[in-house]
Amino acid sequence: MQAERFAIPRILKRAPGAAVTALLLFWAIVQVYPILFMFLTSVKTDKQILNAPFALPDPLLLDNYAIVWQGDRVSQPFATFFINSFSITLGSLAILLFVAGLAGYSLARGRFPGNAATQQVFLLTLAVPVHVLIIPMYFFMGSLGLRNSHFGMMLVYATLGLPFTIILMRAYFLSFPRELEEAALLDGCSRFGAFIRVVVPVSRGAIASMAIINISWIWSELFFALVLLDQPQVRTLPLAVAGYRPAAMSSESVLGQQFAIMSLTALPLFVFYFLFQQQIRKGMTAGALR
Amino acid sequence: MHMNLRRNLIWYLFLAPAVIMLVMFMALPLLQSLELAFFEWNGLRPREFVALENFEELFDDRFFWGALRHTLIFAVFSTIGTVGIGLLLAMAISRRVRGAALYRFIFYLPVMLPMAVTAALWVRMYEQNFGMLNVMLRSIGLAHLEGTWIASRETALGSVIAVAVWQFSGFPMIIQLAAIENIPADLHEAASLDGISEPQRIRQLTLPLIRPVLISISVLQFIFSLKVFDLVWVMTLGGPAESTSVLGTFLYKEAFRKQEYGYASAVAVVMFVVIFSVTYVYQRLMRVEAVEF
Repeated sequence: MQAERFAIPRILKRAPGAAVTALLLFWAIVQVYPILFMFLTSVKTDKQILNAPFALPDPLLLDNYAIVWQGDRVSQPFATFFINSFSITLGSLAILLFVAGLAGYSLARGRFPGNAATQQVFLLTLAVPVHVLIIPMYFFMGSLGLRNSHFGMMLVYATLGLPFTIILMRAYFLSFPRELEEAALLDGCSRFGAFIRVVVPVSRGAIASMAIINISWIWSELFFALVLLDQPQVRTLPLAVAGYRPAAMSSESVLGQQFAIMSLTALPLFVFYFLFQQQIRKGMTAGALR
Repeated sequence: MHMNLRRNLIWYLFLAPAVIMLVMFMALPLLQSLELAFFEWNGLRPREFVALENFEELFDDRFFWGALRHTLIFAVFSTIGTVGIGLLLAMAISRRVRGAALYRFIFYLPVMLPMAVTAALWVRMYEQNFGMLNVMLRSIGLAHLEGTWIASRETALGSVIAVAVWQFSGFPMIIQLAAIENIPADLHEAASLDGISEPQRIRQLTLPLIRPVLISISVLQFIFSLKVFDLVWVMTLGGPAESTSVLGTFLYKEAFRKQEYGYASAVAVVMFVVIFSVTYVYQRLMRVEAVEF
C-alpha cells in the first residue's frame, strides 16, 4: 500500500491541489468581477462606459452620484429613497424584534395551555409563500389607509419576519438562565418589568444577531414594496433601482447614473457585511438548518 | 382554575401582539385569497361568484402552464447549479487551502446584493452591443459565442437561471462547508491511515456524512427558487414573449396589470398549494433527519 503511494509521480500528486486552486480562483473572479465592474462603472462617464468598458475610470468621477443623489428629470432625488429604505428597515426591525422577543419569551417560559399548539402554528406559517397574500393585502392596506405608508410597510415586513424570528427567540430564551429574572421578580418587578429591565439588556447580543439576520432581506425586499408603494416619493431603493430608466421620449443616456444607483443600494449591505461577516454567515447557517 | 388563568394571563398578553399581527397580515389575507379565487372581480364593481370557473380557465390557460413550467425549470436548475457549485467550493475550501477565509468572504458577497441590484446589473451585462459579456467574448476572439441572452426567447430563461446561480451559490457553500467542518477530524485521520485516496474519501466518508445537510439545503433552495420574482421582474418582466414568465410574475400581472383579481387569486391558490405542501413535507422530514457520529 505504502509503496504504491510512493510510486505516484509527484506531479500527479500535486495536480488535485492545482486544480482546486484554479477552481477557487476562477470562481472568485466570476463572483467579484461583476461587482467590481459595477462600482468602477459608476464613476465613469457614459462615453467611457461605451468606448472602454474595461478600462479603469479616468478621471474618477463622482458626478453620477451627485446627480442621482439630488434627483434629475428621470427620477426623484435618491436621498429620498435612501431615507425611505433606511427608516422602513429600522422601523420594521424595531417592531419585529420587540414583538418576536415578547412572543418567544412567552413560549419559552410560560406553561400555559396552547403553548405547544401555538408553536406548531408558527412553524406552519413559515411554509406560507408570502406572495399569495398580496391581493387581499393590497385592498386591506388601502382600506386602513396604510398603502403608500412607511408605517404600513413596517407592519408588513415585521409580520413576514415574525414566524422565523419567534422560533429563534424561543430557542434562545430556553437557554437563558432563570435565576436573573427570578431575582428581579422577588424584588417586586412585574413580568414585563423583569423582561424589559433584566432579560433584554442581558440578551443584547442575541437580539443584535437576530437583527442582523433580518436586515438584508428587509433592505432588499421588492415584491410588497412594488405593490404597496406606488407613489414615487415613498419608494424604497430596490424599487428605484428597478424603475430607473431614461425619461420617455428622450435619447439621453443615463448609464453611469444607473450604475451609481445600483452601487448606492448595494453599498450599505456591503459595509454591513464587512462589519459582521461572521455573525451573518453563522445566522444564515442557523436559519437554514432550523 | 381561575388562579391558573390569572397566572397565565401575562403569557397570553406577551403573545398577543405577535398573534394579532400574524392574524391580520397573514391568516386573514390567506383566507381572503382562497375566497377570492371563487369570484370574478376587477376591484371596482361588486364581485361575482363564479364557483370553479377561474380554475377551469386557469387550467386551459397556456400562459399559466408556461409560467408553471418556467418556475419548475428555474427552481430545478438553479437548485442544481447553486448546490452543486456550492458543494464543489465547500470541498475545495475545506482542504485548508491558503486564503480560505478570503474565499469564504468572497463567495458569500453576491448573496448580500439586493436581488433588484443583481438583476439590474446583469441586464447591463447581457446587453447585446455594449454589454460586458458580449464585449468580453469579442475581445478574446470568441465572437461566435456572442448571444442575445435575455433578449431572445430561446436563451432568456437560461440566462436568468445563470444569474441566480451566480448570486446564490455562496449560500449552499456556507452551509455545506459548516457540515464538512463538523465531521470529526479523527474520522478523516482514520481514513487516511487506512490509505484511502481522496476521491474515495469524498465518496465514502464526506458525502454520506453531509447527505442530510445536502438534501436539506437542496430542498430549501428549491422552495426559495419556486418563489422567484425579483430577478425575473427586473430583468425581463417575464418576457420576451412570456418566455421567462414565472408564477410570481404571472400572478402580479394578472392582478395589478389586468385587474383580474379573482383569476390572480386562483393563481395564488395554486402557488400556495404547491409551495406549502413541499415546505410542509420538508418540515416533517427534517425532524427524523439526523446523523449520529
